[in-house]
Amino acid sequence: MSNFSSNDDALHSVFRRDLRTEWIARNRLHPLHDSVVSAQQGGEVRGPTGLLRKNPHVIGFIGPNGLKRIDRANGSFVAIGGKKRVPSAKDSQRPLHLVENPEGYIMVVGDMIGGRLTSHDKDILGLAHQLAAEKSKVAVVLVCFGENKETQCDLAGVDRVIHLEGNVFEGFAPEAGLSVLQQIETSYQPMHWLFPDSVHGGSDLGSRLAARLGERPATQAWQVTSEKTISRGASGSQDISRTTPRILMLMEECANAVEDTRHEALPLALEFDVSMAEGDHRLIDQGQIDVDSNAVPLAEAEFILSAGNGIHNWDQFHSAAAALRATEGASRVAVDDGFMPRSRQVGASGTWVTARVYLAVGISGAIQHMQGIGQCDKVVAINTDAGCDMVKRADLAVIADSEAILAELTRLAQQRELSKEEEESDAA
Amino acid sequence: MQPNVNVVSLVSIGRHPQSGRSRRAEQDGRAVELGLSLVGEALTVVHVGEDQDPVLRQYAGMGLPSMTVLSQGKECDALPVLTSFLKAQLPSVVLTGVRSESGESSGMLPYLLAEALGWPLVPRVAEILHIKDGQAEVLLALPRGQRRSVQVTLPFIASVDNAAQEARQTAFGPGLRATLHVETVDSVVDDAAIQWEMSAAKPRPKRLKVVKAKTAADRMKAATAKPVGGGGKIMKNETPAEKAQAIFDLLLEEKVVR
Amino acid sequence: MIFDWLPPTLIGVLLVLAGIGAVRRINLWRAGQSEKVDILAGLMAMPKRYLHDLHHVVERDKYMSRTHVATGGGFVLAMVLVVFVHLFGVKSEILAWALLAALVIMFCGALFVAKRRLNPPSRLSKGPWMRLPKSLLTFSITFFVLTLPAAGILPEGFGGWLLTVVLSVLILMSLGEMLFGMTWGGPMKHAFAGALHLAFHRRPERFGGGRSTGLKPAVLGGDVHGVSKPTDFKWNQLLGFDACVQCGRCEAVCPAFAAGQPLNPKKLIQDMVVGFAGGTDEKYAGSPYPDGSGGVQDVGNAVGGKDQIITNGLINPDTLWSCTTCRACVEECPMMIEHVDAIVDMRRFLTLEKGDTPNKGAQVLENIIATDNPNGYSPASRTHWAADQNLNVMKEVKQADVLFWVSDGAFDMRSQRILRSFVTLLKAAKVDVAILGDEERDSGDVARRLGDDATFQSLAKRNLATMSQYRFNTIVTTDPHAFHCLKNEYGDFGSTALDGVEVLHHTTFLNRLIKEGRLQLDAFSGGKVTYHDPCYLGRYNGEYDAPRELLASLGIEVAEMERSGYRSRCCGGGGGVPITDIPGERRIADMRMEDVISTGAEMVAVGCQQCTAMLEGVVEPRPVVKDIAEILAGQLKEMH
Ligand SMILES: Cc1cc2nc3c(=O)[nH]c(=O)nc-3n(C[C@H](O)[C@H](O)[C@H](O)COP(=O)(O)OP(=O)(O)OC[C@H]3O[C@@H](n4cnc5c(N)ncnc54)[C@H](O)[C@@H]3O)c2cc1C
Ligand code: SF4
Ligand code: SF4
Repeated sequence: MSNFSSNDDALHSVFRRDLRTEWIARNRLHPLHDSVVSAQQGGEVRGPTGLLRKNPHVIGFIGPNGLKRIDRANGSFVAIGGKKRVPSAKDSQRPLHLVENPEGYIMVVGDMIGGRLTSHDKDILGLAHQLAAEKSKVAVVLVCFGENKETQCDLAGVDRVIHLEGNVFEGFAPEAGLSVLQQIETSYQPMHWLFPDSVHGGSDLGSRLAARLGERPATQAWQVTSEKTISRGASGSQDISRTTPRILMLMEECANAVEDTRHEALPLALEFDVSMAEGDHRLIDQGQIDVDSNAVPLAEAEFILSAGNGIHNWDQFHSAAAALRATEGASRVAVDDGFMPRSRQVGASGTWVTARVYLAVGISGAIQHMQGIGQCDKVVAINTDAGCDMVKRADLAVIADSEAILAELTRLAQQRELSKEEEESDAA
Repeated sequence: MQPNVNVVSLVSIGRHPQSGRSRRAEQDGRAVELGLSLVGEALTVVHVGEDQDPVLRQYAGMGLPSMTVLSQGKECDALPVLTSFLKAQLPSVVLTGVRSESGESSGMLPYLLAEALGWPLVPRVAEILHIKDGQAEVLLALPRGQRRSVQVTLPFIASVDNAAQEARQTAFGPGLRATLHVETVDSVVDDAAIQWEMSAAKPRPKRLKVVKAKTAADRMKAATAKPVGGGGKIMKNETPAEKAQAIFDLLLEEKVVR
Repeated sequence: MIFDWLPPTLIGVLLVLAGIGAVRRINLWRAGQSEKVDILAGLMAMPKRYLHDLHHVVERDKYMSRTHVATGGGFVLAMVLVVFVHLFGVKSEILAWALLAALVIMFCGALFVAKRRLNPPSRLSKGPWMRLPKSLLTFSITFFVLTLPAAGILPEGFGGWLLTVVLSVLILMSLGEMLFGMTWGGPMKHAFAGALHLAFHRRPERFGGGRSTGLKPAVLGGDVHGVSKPTDFKWNQLLGFDACVQCGRCEAVCPAFAAGQPLNPKKLIQDMVVGFAGGTDEKYAGSPYPDGSGGVQDVGNAVGGKDQIITNGLINPDTLWSCTTCRACVEECPMMIEHVDAIVDMRRFLTLEKGDTPNKGAQVLENIIATDNPNGYSPASRTHWAADQNLNVMKEVKQADVLFWVSDGAFDMRSQRILRSFVTLLKAAKVDVAILGDEERDSGDVARRLGDDATFQSLAKRNLATMSQYRFNTIVTTDPHAFHCLKNEYGDFGSTALDGVEVLHHTTFLNRLIKEGRLQLDAFSGGKVTYHDPCYLGRYNGEYDAPRELLASLGIEVAEMERSGYRSRCCGGGGGVPITDIPGERRIADMRMEDVISTGAEMVAVGCQQCTAMLEGVVEPRPVVKDIAEILAGQLKEMH
């Protein structure tokens, strides 16, 4: 079991020198010199012997006289280029919240998408501390499965961690997860079980546990104290107010994430034989299917690159969509003119989309088109006409020829792809 | 079609998000659609509740010759009734929505049924590809249009996601003529729910970016910052590269480019 | 003479065969559903309907009208006389001379028919119809020669047996066409069926200058809703289909056909005939249905039978869903055939029985059912547009002189501009007006045109129930579709809510206000203006003048489009067509905008929010589109 504190990497992990970076940092003529140097400025630098050199110019550095270096334009300090977020001095200044010999536990089963706490998870950890604060000696325990890349559990409010790894927990393995939760239930009798009410597995696992334990959970809960819970019912149209149950599935923003304290994030022992978690043989995960971004149904797509009458180079449009991994959409004119299939039409007589980002290229923003994008979070417009309705609606509008911008965007996307590959081969 | 598999779709009374009127529930409609695509008219569609509800005709209008109604009052618990019905019927596949649109909307029903019957449950199904040799291959809907393939042993329960095939149009005539088999059942009042207080949903305040101002400079910045969402930014005179960079930054920020 | 008996026998035999054919044909029609028709009154009224109403339509094509009077009139007269002179052998020179005269008239007419057929326009059917002028000419020449002896011009027995035999062959050919063909399905069928169709028309109100455009309510609750197979039509609808002369005037004006959508009203009517008579469409010799992408569909594959489901093999549903219900075809049809009724009848089957309304249709209907508006907006937001308008709401005031029917434009930002302009005018004229507010519901127009008569009827009844609680003298609306429903279709539901209430379109109402001097307007000084007649205002309700008078009152001289008034071309917005959105080669709105542009106008005035939306959906640059209410509100004199 590993430790997930933010400050552990420098202290405990084996130090490995990066000769190439050091060389670039010395060679002022190297094309990457600037970026490497600026990346290093934020944190400590290793001397050639491997000793830590402190950079006294860095913000938050506490000088020999005990004075701290501060930033008057607070917040402008960003660690550029650092692959891991370096904990700022402010974070390590947070008081440590200690729970010794806990007498009660609140279990938070995080979604941990990509092995990291989601903001939803963090909100729930915040809520867990609100509940814990009403009693003494209650530890907030993060339960997580599979790979864990989170380095800031301590700052997110995790007092203890139960982390289970192994093939049985990979992919879709609700029964294996459930058997672990049952074991935890027997071993620790937690005060509360908190799950994110999410499509990422939280609500599934929570519902399974509730059904197994025969306890009635509160779902879509959004206001919780240890006595009373308010949750949404009737497809979000009603508030149900009731005594707080032991199992809760919580909505996003149900509480504020932990911000002022540091936590121990110590492993919590669990007697669990991973081989026992065989799961249910009746459910066999055959893996995620690779769905091409352009094969994603328009209504489900989260990022749409949409073409209108202002596109004149269709090959370029398609390659831009491919490079950006966007799902293609179109205005009716683009469909009528035969450049795009009907199934791609966005708008009143096409599909109503719900994308997080809708990038409209050469689309004027007729009412019928706008009806289709009413539920999009962010709209970006590329258009030559600054007065058109799409520009008025857009969160970001760029007045320019579509071809020029698409060319740049394709370039940026490809560049990023390259640097990501490099990063991966570096990491390997 | 798989005519020799016994499939049951469970349906409830939905609620239109704008008008609040009863309607055919989105996901339940999809559950019926999925059932029809699996076994056609051999599908059994079951509703627990009041047998006079006109919404039942909307389900029937999807081309169901008949429907089964386990008749009980609104305040009763559907679980025991359904459990005994399914124990008697022994279907191979039970399809439900993920969450009902009325009542508690907890989404627990499929889980409780699975637990009571001891069957496996597949959540958020987008498609059932085929059923063969006592096994079904099922596609689960993941966020952003992604899919996961799962093999599940019959009998099983599946909750049907919004990503599944949309329910076909309901036709007035067949809906009107369909027969409703009404069965009166011993119902159990849902005691716990009676204790709850229900009220119209209060709007949740959008979380503001709280700036924990520790310095005067901070407070100044927080006070003068442009409010989020107040009109968009327009870029006119920058170079194409700068404009594209601005767009790209937004894509990164929104995490749609990774 | 040995063969003297031959001509009379032939005539007799063919008459008998024609009689048998007539009975057969009538039985085909009688397979349709019963419909109460006053047979005697219909028959009595028939000549007048023919001479007055039918000719009123035919008159639009002067050439054809004269030709038809000569040919048709000549033939009918000649045929009657032939029976007396040649069959019954009445010896009267006067009769014989009269017969000769009739034949000459007919001959002249037939010459013109022949001339039209030399280079026929594409809307005319070819095939047997190309043979018709020859048959007509042969008939007149043959009987002319045959009658010469009876008139005493030639001696009896002139020409000997040879001439008699030759004439007999010609009689067989021409009378075969004229009598046998009339009842056994030749081109002359139109005369027989047409006459009876005029007598037993389903909308007798249309004769004598009347207007009958409201759809008939569907009977709800039976084994089938709408028309699934030909015999589900009323018997006189079937008769009506048989009356078609395949003149193709409907085809020539149909916007869907012009846009290359898979609809041709003439072919549709012929397919109906194939349906109830059985067989295939292989003999059809007119323009086929377009295929939606610039080509045409093959002819000969459509199979029908009187008890076969029409949309299984006879007609593709897309054909039915392409119709904008603009009534241009009905307006233009010389035989007064009711295409729109038939199309909506079949749509009712598709929607109410099959649940097969294409594209957004299902969703729109579901929205209408759940929210009383097609886009699924919250019914409680219906009056948001009027938040700053200070309008009386019926619920509070209970009565007003004028009820302003707002329509679903209330939810649409563009239409709201029209609504606000109209309110400005109402206020300037100090009209005592109120709205229903959130109690108003969709008029049901879209649901009804999409075939969902159950939902239409439910909306109509609920709207009527709401209105019956309040007192008002006039309803005014800016939406011609709601106008049509309220005025012509709500009457079928046994409510007294609209008794004594005048239903008006806003242009009519505003025109009155101006005539009464209640609105003071400045002259309009913009550029050239043309006016687009909305189908549901013009052809459906006959209001062509008020909008033009309003524009004239601003000093605007309307630069008329070639197709205006009763011949106005649809904007493509009616009949739920924007919702079903059947692909074509072009968009109807684009064609209409071309009509506008060809007048050189900088602005097109309309009187309908749907037309506004359709025409503004045409990509720019294009003339400005404005509702007349908006134009008037812009010219309102500032009051001090
Ligand atoms: C009933 C009805 C239903 C409809 N349904 C839909 C629907 O579902 N979906 C839909 O999209 N439309 C629909 N429309 C059509 C709609 O009204 C508009 O006609 C259509 O959306 C316009 O498409 P557009 O913006 O691509 O074209 P245009 O309006 O021609 O706009 C092109 C835009 O591209 C810009 N441009 C031109 N060249 C360049 C360049 N080189 N670089 C950058 N920008 C450039 C122009 O400034 C302009 O803003 C409907 C219309 C009707 C009447
Ligand atoms: S339907 Fe009427 S207009 Fe059309 S071809 Fe027949 S007779 Fe002519
Ligand atoms: S009503 Fe209009 S669109 Fe329909 S067939 Fe007649 S002319 Fe064509």
